[in-house]
Amino acid sequence: SSLRFQPNPQYRPDLKLTDAEHALHYNNFYELGTDKSDPYRNADRLITDNWQVRIEGECAKPQTFDMDDLLAIEQEERIYRFRCVEGWSMVVPWIGFPLSKLLNKVEPTSKAKYVEFISILDRKNLPGQRFNILDWPYREGLRIDEAMHPLTLMATGLYGEALQNQSGAPLRLIVPWKYGFKSSKSIVTIRLVEKQPISSWMQATPSEYGFYSNVNPQVPHRRWSQAKERPLGSFFKKKTLMFNGYADEVASLYSGMDLRRYF
Amino acid sequence: MPLAAKLFIFSLVCALPGIDLGWKLLQDNLGANPVETLEHTTGDWTIYFLLLTLSISPVQQLFVPKWPIPMHLIRRILGLSAFVYALLHLAVYFIFDMGLDIDAAVEDIATRPFIMIGMTALTLLIPLAITSTQGWQKRLKRRWQQLHKLIYPITFLGILHYALLVKADLFMPLLYLLLFGILMLLRQFKLPRLR
Repeated sequence: SSLRFQPNPQYRPDLKLTDAEHALHYNNFYELGTDKSDPYRNADRLITDNWQVRIEGECAKPQTFDMDDLLAIEQEERIYRFRCVEGWSMVVPWIGFPLSKLLNKVEPTSKAKYVEFISILDRKNLPGQRFNILDWPYREGLRIDEAMHPLTLMATGLYGEALQNQSGAPLRLIVPWKYGFKSSKSIVTIRLVEKQPISSWMQATPSEYGFYSNVNPQVPHRRWSQAKERPLGSFFKKKTLMFNGYADEVASLYSGMDLRRYF
Repeated sequence: MPLAAKLFIFSLVCALPGIDLGWKLLQDNLGANPVETLEHTTGDWTIYFLLLTLSISPVQQLFVPKWPIPMHLIRRILGLSAFVYALLHLAVYFIFDMGLDIDAAVEDIATRPFIMIGMTALTLLIPLAITSTQGWQKRLKRRWQQLHKLIYPITFLGILHYALLVKADLFMPLLYLLLFGILMLLRQFKLPRLR
């Protein structure tokens, strides 16, 4: 189905778009299976009818939104780089709106220091949730200033159309300067909290996945280098950029922090 | 059918996964991450062929006493296939992951345990491949048997190499480990013929 949106010329890097064919058939979405081809293959196992998102926690007006409420927010298209922690990358046109617009509706209080994102839990239908590969439901988190940053997007579409299930329909997060797993898919709850949340990956392997997970070519993963990345569809690697090329916009969020320690 | 023809056909069958991969490579039909496809497929087939090599004796003892090709020749072709797929696996890694940069490869091998383990397994395969001929078998006599027992640690290291690179889903490496364990256990007993 098509979406009404405006291209945002501010976020159009001079980069070649990844083939939609690649971006829509090669996905990490463990709820639908751990192989890269599983999410597309099992896409119909994700049921998105009557989707609602609950925003709760440290805010004056906790609320539940349905997709019509969210699609009433002005939708824009932004072309972002996307870098997976595994070392592949893509450049894709997301459609959506800044998360800050949504969070402002619930009026976060001064206690809202972090934001926790909770994805769908449906053990009956989602093949990946029959096994505890991760502690389901999938949980991720951001610091409140990261969540309110103008680059942080709630995506509802991709390549001009509503998100397909394998891409995290109907609503997902996009944080372009962090490794892809920070960009939660199929979100059902957003919780404003005072303490730093523990994400599913932090819980699974704390030595390998930190809370920040900013793209950083100088800090290797425990088992592989992060200095380079392979764009989808290409054979050779290219250099990974600090904060995935968004250093001008986001480096100030982390000034004075030891990024090796807070990886 | 003469033995030479049988050997040729069997070798061709072992080469099929590689031929398929080469064909898809030429057609640019390896998916979104072609290098990963090449790397994972050659790695998977290395482990399959190692496990197949180890299965020949127990399968013979348990189920199929007589083979159309002498067992030692089947084992040789399976073992050499494992070696060839491992070499292709290394070539893909060196060409596309390391960009033909020897310094980068040396550093990668030295700093990443799973790469080091994989390299160790491949290095240990080299003497087995070289001495796989009948000439070497005769020359080394009883030592040949001892040398070729290296296939056990090699297979284990290959599976370990795979397990250490997986992010969260250990199902496949654990399945391989289980198969390896069963094959090792079968080796401990003098098996009765079931047939």
